[in-house]
Amino acid sequence: MLIFPGHFSVRRLTAIAAALALWQAPVSAGEVCATDDAGQEVCLDQPASRIAALSPGATELVWAAGAGEKVVAVVSYSDYPEEAKEVTSVGSHTRMDLERLVELKPDLVIGWVTGNPAEQLDAIRDLGIPVFSIEPRTFEAVSGTIERLATLAGTEKAGFAEAERFRQGIAGLASEYQGAEPVPVFYQVWDEPLMTVSDEHLIGKVITLCGGVNVFGDLERLVPRISAEAVIGANPEAILAGGMGEENRHWLTRWKAFPGIEATRKDNLYFIPPSLVQRPTPRMLEGSTLFCEKLDDARAKR
Amino acid sequence: MSRPLLKPLLVLAFVSLASMVLSVGTGSVSVAPGQVLAVILGEGSNLQQTLVLELRLPRTLSAFATGGLLAVAGALMQVLLRNPLADPYVLGLSGGAAVGALLAMLAGLGGFLVSGSAFAGALLSTLMVFGLAHGTGSWTPSRLLLTGVVVAAGWGAVITLMLAISPTQRLPGMLYWLMGDVSYARTPWPALGLLALVCLLVAPLGRSLNVLARGPMQAAALGVAVRPLEWTIYILASLLTATAVTMAGSIGFVGLVVPHMLRLLLGNDQRLILPACAFAGGTLLVLADTLARIVIAPEQLPVGVITALLGVPTFLYLLYRSR
Amino acid sequence: MVMSKRPIMQTLRTRELVIDIPGRPDGYPLDLNIEPGQIWGVLGPNGAGKTTLLHTIAGLRAPRSGSLLLGEQSTAAMKRRVLSQQLGLVFQDRQDGFPATVLETALIGRHPWLSPWQMESADDVAMAERALEALDVLHLKDRLVSTLSGGERQRVAIATLMTQAPHTWLLDEPTNHLDLHHQVAVMNLLTERAKAGNAIFMCLHDVNLAARWCDNILLMYPDGEACWGPAEHMLVPNALERLYNQSLATVEVDGAPFFVPKRG
Repeated sequence: MLIFPGHFSVRRLTAIAAALALWQAPVSAGEVCATDDAGQEVCLDQPASRIAALSPGATELVWAAGAGEKVVAVVSYSDYPEEAKEVTSVGSHTRMDLERLVELKPDLVIGWVTGNPAEQLDAIRDLGIPVFSIEPRTFEAVSGTIERLATLAGTEKAGFAEAERFRQGIAGLASEYQGAEPVPVFYQVWDEPLMTVSDEHLIGKVITLCGGVNVFGDLERLVPRISAEAVIGANPEAILAGGMGEENRHWLTRWKAFPGIEATRKDNLYFIPPSLVQRPTPRMLEGSTLFCEKLDDARAKR
Repeated sequence: MSRPLLKPLLVLAFVSLASMVLSVGTGSVSVAPGQVLAVILGEGSNLQQTLVLELRLPRTLSAFATGGLLAVAGALMQVLLRNPLADPYVLGLSGGAAVGALLAMLAGLGGFLVSGSAFAGALLSTLMVFGLAHGTGSWTPSRLLLTGVVVAAGWGAVITLMLAISPTQRLPGMLYWLMGDVSYARTPWPALGLLALVCLLVAPLGRSLNVLARGPMQAAALGVAVRPLEWTIYILASLLTATAVTMAGSIGFVGLVVPHMLRLLLGNDQRLILPACAFAGGTLLVLADTLARIVIAPEQLPVGVITALLGVPTFLYLLYRSR
Repeated sequence: MVMSKRPIMQTLRTRELVIDIPGRPDGYPLDLNIEPGQIWGVLGPNGAGKTTLLHTIAGLRAPRSGSLLLGEQSTAAMKRRVLSQQLGLVFQDRQDGFPATVLETALIGRHPWLSPWQMESADDVAMAERALEALDVLHLKDRLVSTLSGGERQRVAIATLMTQAPHTWLLDEPTNHLDLHHQVAVMNLLTERAKAGNAIFMCLHDVNLAARWCDNILLMYPDGEACWGPAEHMLVPNALERLYNQSLATVEVDGAPFFVPKRG
């Protein structure tokens, strides 16, 4: 295996290889195929023209793939981009209204491997509608998913460009923060119960990307539930939290009561709008940039 | 005396059919009655056929089967325990099924394996209660009840534990299962078959059940083989409940309220009450599920919510009337 | 098995029967012959085991030793349904059952005679109504049993036994809760039944009822001793005083003895 200067280039090579792999010679003119995250290969005779996205994340990714105009059905809380709010909702991602979905005559349904109920996805398949299940867990997977969706929707030009933009952006952050001083970080996903992420979680990878060290990184669960005592004991230098909405910062105020934590003493309590990091979409680039800036701020205070 | 039996059953059968027709004709997408008829006759557009035959019909039949199973199981439990407040879950059956199902979900299994797990859990719970309640000497209804209540509480604790430690993304699925939901039921035929089979099996036992309901000593003195009959009834009730819970989670109140109401209206002859429960329970759940599908569409409510909202005031009313 | 509608009159025999009362040593083995037409009274203080004996004879409890024969056949070998065509029991304490009307309750007496798929016929209903009438409760036939008084419930229980029409009638204190008029009516009914060929075997707490109506007596002593035989041999003051641990004065009324507890 050839070693190129900086893993940046290896990534690019991998990306090109992946793109080539996806671009299989179609069996018949117009046919498009892709393999989903559940291991199923999904082939359509023609690129999809009526797409149903059964999770808010899938909605964003379909738009990112350039196929926003083709979306005919979304689920509740699909609030980004703005145009998605105008699309017909078929209920909650945990229990969809199959009648409404069927009425909209989708030719491709984007499901979420662990988020949609398997029985309902099976029912949709039984009705003859192809289901493509996604669940991106890494930055590369986000790009790869955008590319696969673009392939299935026939919007390769826009989709691949967006995927590449994201890839470059993340790679840029990676090289920028490659040698940064490690900062012990606690990221708070939820307030009651108190939840954080491990290194395996996508947000955990954001932390690592920005040169942070997740104080709960090696816990087994992807989203562990911990106690306030554990946080005090771990003594992070920076605490980053989401909130109940895009503006609600009050989760951070609870940590102000514990001056024993370094992050509190140095006032390294930062709010990151949850939708920028908690959905595996291109907005993670924005979120990661914000994240890295906050950690720089913490480093500056040393 | 067969005439008085037939008439109420025919009426109930008709009501059941009407409710199923209503359910198949109703949904979040409107299909006019004429078009529904066309679909049944083999015509109608593709969309309408899909809606009516592939989405609504199996769901209606599943709801009917589940409701019927629960109501009959409830009636059998009430006779077995000689307690009009017994329901199919009082002996810990739904708790066991829930633990089975949730364990399967925790392990990441889906579909058929979850159902199978639920079934196994229900039967395991049955054996536990039977075994524990046996102890020294025979089991009396109060002993069975107490054991069942304690076992049910035990399962409840296990369920709470599982909910507390399960990964966050599994929670919605688990909660919906616990609330009772017909939308996940896939094929109604095994359940319908079981319902019909059990009603047939229980028909010749009807009068013996009437006698047993007077008390086991009295029943034995009148020639009823009390122990074997109690075992049979318990196993049948468990089978019915396990199947219902496996299909649609733990739906409450149907098994308690339906037999009770029918007894108020039709008297105490089990030969009439048991098949009547099958029809009435099925009808109730079909109607409740129809509501669950449309009342806040496209959001779908779990049917257990509707049965509880309907069941609680109904039950309170029955209690008030019986004073 | 032929479903005969009339019971076959047979003698109920106990052979060295020792009833099982947990914690008590073996009592005296009982060799009774309860023949058609006889009216037996079982007397003894509380706790002597009268109810246990009745339940044992009815096949509801296993004896400690000994056997029960109907004619030549051991009752232990008989199927429960066939046995209940021959023997019927009125319990002393009634268990709480599901709600039911008086007529429904009497009708369950026909259960041993009907096959599982058979419904009650008009004849069966007529039998039940005749029985209810004989016990003076026909006017209550559509009332729920739980709404009746103790005496009315007692009479419904006896009517159920009558509907069952076995040839041997076992009754545990049938006159409990009954007012004087109905006590006499029930005892008259039992006498009629005996004349028609039934065998009556009942526990009584009132020695005077036994004296007036029974032709055979079984005395059960609290220590397990027992003796039995024709009434005139059993109803002697010595035996009774020892039985009840109470001194008695004897009077004669209408040709039958009457026992009165002595004061002091």
